[in-house]
Formats: sequence, structure tokens, C-alpha cells
Amino acid sequence: MPILRVRAAGPTSKKDERLPPVTPSTETTGASREFESRVLSVEPIMGDAVLLTVSAPPAVLSHLQPGQFFNIVTRFSGSFDPLLRRPYSVYRAHRDDSALTFLVRPFGRGSSWLAERLPGERVGMLGPLGNSFEIPDRAQRLLMVGGGVGVAPLVMLSDEAALEKLDVVFVMGAANESGLLSASELPDRVEYVVATDDGTRGHRGLATEVVADFVQWADQIYACGPEPMYRTLRAVVEPQRINRRPSIQVSMERGMACGLGACLGCVVETTHGMIASCVKGPVFDLDEVIL
Amino acid sequence: MSAATTPDLSVDLAPGNPHELRLRNPIIAASGCFGYGEEYASIIDIDRLGAFVSKGITPERRAGNPMPRIVESPAGMLNAIGLQNPGIHGFVKKYPPIWARWTVPGIVNISAESVNDYAMMAAILDEQPSIAAIEVNVSCPNIARGGYCFGWDPQMSADVTRAVRSATTLPLIVKLSPGAADIASVAAAVEEAGADAISLINTLVGMAIDVRRRKPLLANYTGGVSGPAIKPIAVRMVYQVATAVRLPVIGMGGIMGLNDALEFFLAGASAIQIGTGIFVDPGLPIRLIDELAHWLDEEGFSSLEQIVGIANEGFRTGERSALAAWESIGI
Repeated sequence: MPILRVRAAGPTSKKDERLPPVTPSTETTGASREFESRVLSVEPIMGDAVLLTVSAPPAVLSHLQPGQFFNIVTRFSGSFDPLLRRPYSVYRAHRDDSALTFLVRPFGRGSSWLAERLPGERVGMLGPLGNSFEIPDRAQRLLMVGGGVGVAPLVMLSDEAALEKLDVVFVMGAANESGLLSASELPDRVEYVVATDDGTRGHRGLATEVVADFVQWADQIYACGPEPMYRTLRAVVEPQRINRRPSIQVSMERGMACGLGACLGCVVETTHGMIASCVKGPVFDLDEVIL
Repeated sequence: MSAATTPDLSVDLAPGNPHELRLRNPIIAASGCFGYGEEYASIIDIDRLGAFVSKGITPERRAGNPMPRIVESPAGMLNAIGLQNPGIHGFVKKYPPIWARWTVPGIVNISAESVNDYAMMAAILDEQPSIAAIEVNVSCPNIARGGYCFGWDPQMSADVTRAVRSATTLPLIVKLSPGAADIASVAAAVEEAGADAISLINTLVGMAIDVRRRKPLLANYTGGVSGPAIKPIAVRMVYQVATAVRLPVIGMGGIMGLNDALEFFLAGASAIQIGTGIFVDPGLPIRLIDELAHWLDEEGFSSLEQIVGIANEGFRTGERSALAAWESIGI
């Protein structure tokens, strides 16, 4: 399996330094970003969720980075309901097998449709879209904080970090034990720490409460989950930070239409204004996000 | 393969204007749904399009509305983006040089809250290279008239059209609001005031409520409804307007495939715009060009022009409506 370098490459303009750089769309050419996938497998995970594995062209996989997402059609062809595509970040990239895995929890109509797909069926994809998590050059110790299905892009990031022999602590919170990711889903070298609301496994309480123990250890923090989690995370991490380090890269969840920066329906309010999360996100520096 | 491209798809949307607005085909990417072109340039072959229309540009830059800005609705969506854009000066600094790299005509959509501001923007655009036409969005509040929408009133729509007409010689498209009580009257007034073409329909004002929070879902409360859900309304209005005026009509509203597109042409549209359809199916506009050519060929037509308005008995008669009185109110 080829090692994917996710470190920032080359100098960026001063303006760009403040936000994670946009992934150059020219790297993936034209029609290759819109394609039809075949469902390869559907496996239950984390209670009522599924791991949906689909085929993808090698060209798509070769450019894919952790944190990027696909805008997926969640209806049968010929139907216009639900109309809009649904954005899903990649849970795992299978570069040798030309396949992608998404973590899908049935919640609304789109996600329920997607979770019900069977092997052999076709699904319309647009991607990869958006920017990605960045691993700073000097970073050796990475702390990841995932809430519920928000763990998805952090699993791919952990895969890549493990290939680069980086140290990873992966903190996950869920309502109860059945909502947790199995430790076997993560690379061996990742330290997995869990918290459950009801105490059925690990720390009793929120994932963010566990985080305090690792802030000074970490060179870089990554998080993906609901926005209230980011508020708590900010409050937990801030007292221990020195010179705004470690910084926290968060993936912002937004409903969206185009996924290409055209509609401006998915903006995130930042210290630099309203930024389209589909092209200049979904990954933002938490210091720049106005929650 | 060559037979499929034989029919003539070209159309001049400003036959009364010396500049012309000649498109190689009648498929246009709609305002608000195609960014400024570059957003889709890596996804589709933009130079195959008939034309594209920019997001709505305003006199000053606008940050747009708070989130949420988009809500899905049955076979459609509501949006209240709030015209987030860099303003007319930011626009002319950045985009004309980018547009100059393409052969596809780029049309600028403008929105304002006063007649003078519309004219001011048109005058600025008139001096720019690489701009094929102006599309005037009259679905804006007229501040001098207490925020009443320009596009709901024939006189106010005509005032905007006349002011823009006198500020530029560029081909001028006026995009009508479906909120007008009598859209044919607005169309006739706009034609009289000097428009080169008419496009319709803009979105319909709608609302969705979050039952759990007991509040409207959109931060702006109301938003524009688009998508397949509004198509029958759009087809009816295109039919009415194509009867009332002699100008080329550009139809839009919920087009998701060839059959939808054909409905608009048969109703009297000389060209069509694709908006929400691009969000969910970026390949749709280019596919439609090929499918339209193929269909015309199969049906024995040598040009698109031959089918425009053939389902419309009063097409370009300039009559108020060819529909019988009871039919026109839908009973």
C-alpha cells in the first residue's frame, strides 16, 4: 500500500496560511470526480450504523486525503426525492482494492436509503471534495477526538498516521458500549481510549473529559463530531495550551447542495467571514471557527 | 455519431441588439447554481455550454445570511443564501480575466435595491471585456417603495429595465419573479422598456418549519423554492409570457432531464437554464445538449427553432393570454 503524504506541501500565500490550504481540484481531472460506484459490502457497526464499501476509480483513490468527502446521491435514478446529495467523509481508503468505505448511520431519509443498499447496487458519487486534515511537519503525537459517526474521517487519518509511524491517541465517545467503534477497526499502534455516557465501557461521561489528560502530550489535535462537542473541547483544551499550541483541526458538518463552492449553502462562520465548508473546509482550525 | 449533432441548436437571444447574444446551443447554467464558472470548470467541459450566468452581484459586497441557508423540500429545496458576493467592484477585478480564458459566453446577474444602483452596475459592466450579457434580477426589494419587490410590479420592473438599458448596450435579459400577480403584464412592460430577452422563473418564496424547535428552519425564515417541485408552475408561466411578448424567452424551473427541457421549448422558450439540477447532477447540462440534438434528429427536425412554441397556440402573438379565461386560472 503506497504511503500517502498528508503533510502540507510547498509554500502557501500569507492569506492561505490562516486556513488549511484548499486541495487543488486540478489534480483530479474532469469527469473522474463524478462517477458511479458499485456497492461491494455492507457490514453492521456501532449499533445501527453500517460500513458501506464501494468501488472507486484508482485515480480517485490516488489523490484522496483524510478528511475529504464525497457528495453521494441517496435516491434511485428516476426519483427526485430526496433531491440533494449527502456529504460523507471517507472512513477508510482501500488503495490496493480500488474501494472506499463510508460510515453511515440511518437518521434521515438520505442516510436511511444509503444504509439499506445491497452489494451489487449502484450509487452516484461526486468527489473527492474539500480540503483535508494536515499533519504538521514536526508533529509526532496526534490526539484524535471523535463523537459518534464523527469518527469516520479520523479512522482514515489514523490509518495514514500509522503508516508514517506517528503516535496516535484516539478518543471516542458514545452513548453506550454498543455505539463504540471496535478496537480492531484501528491500526495496532493506535492507543484507543473510550468514554460512554452510561459507563458500560471506559470512562463514564464525555469523550472531551478524557481529552484533558492528553492535551500536553499532543502535538496536534483532530476532532470530528457535533458542534456542542467542539465548544466543550475548546473549553477543556484552552487552559492547557501554550502559544495556541496544540491547535485543533475540526471537521465541520454542514448540509450542502453542490459540494463545489457554487451555492454557498454550507458556509461556516469564521474570523475571516463566511467560508464555504465544501471547498475551504470541511477541516477548519477551531481557533478560527465562530461557534 | 455525426447524425446526432446535425440539428442546428444555435440561438440568438438578443436579435434586436447589434451585439447579439448568439449561443451555440440553448443550454445555460443558471445564476446562483454555477458560482462564477470556475467552480465547475474542473468537473465539466464548460466551453460546451451555451452560456452560464454568474451568482447575483450587488453594488456592495455582501456576507450573506446566517446558517442554515438551505433546506430540502419534497423534490426540491429552499435556499436563502442572501446574495453572498464580492460586490460589483470585487467582481470586475477578479472574474473577467478568468472568463476570458473560455469561449463560453458569461452573463452577469445583477441585483440592487434602487433603480440607480442597477444602472450604476450596468454602466460598470458595460466597460468590461469578456461579458456577453447582463441578466437583471428584479426579485429584489425596492427600498424607495418600502421594500416591495420590483418584479411584482410591471411599472417598477419597467423602470429598472429602462435605467439599465440606458446605461449599457450589452444584451439585456430581465429575469422575472413568479411572485408577480400577472407575470404576462410584467413581461410586456419589460419588453416595452427595452429588454432583449426575458428569463423565468426565479424561485418561489417558501418556508419550512422545524417542528422540534418550533421555529422556521431557515435562519432567514423564508427562502426560494426550486427543483422539480416547481416545474409545472414554470412551464405555465413560460407559456403565458411567450404568448405576451415577441422577445426570446429563457425558461427555467426544475429541469432534470430531456423531457423537462422539451416541455419548456414547446411552451415557447428559445433557451433554458439549469439551476438546482446542476447541484445534484453536474453532468446534466452537457448531457442535455447531446440528448436534445439526438431527439431533434430522431423526430425529423433540422433545428431547435422549429420546435420552439409549437405547443403554444398564442406564441409570440403579443396577446395578453391565449388561454381561455377559465383555463388561465387553472379550473
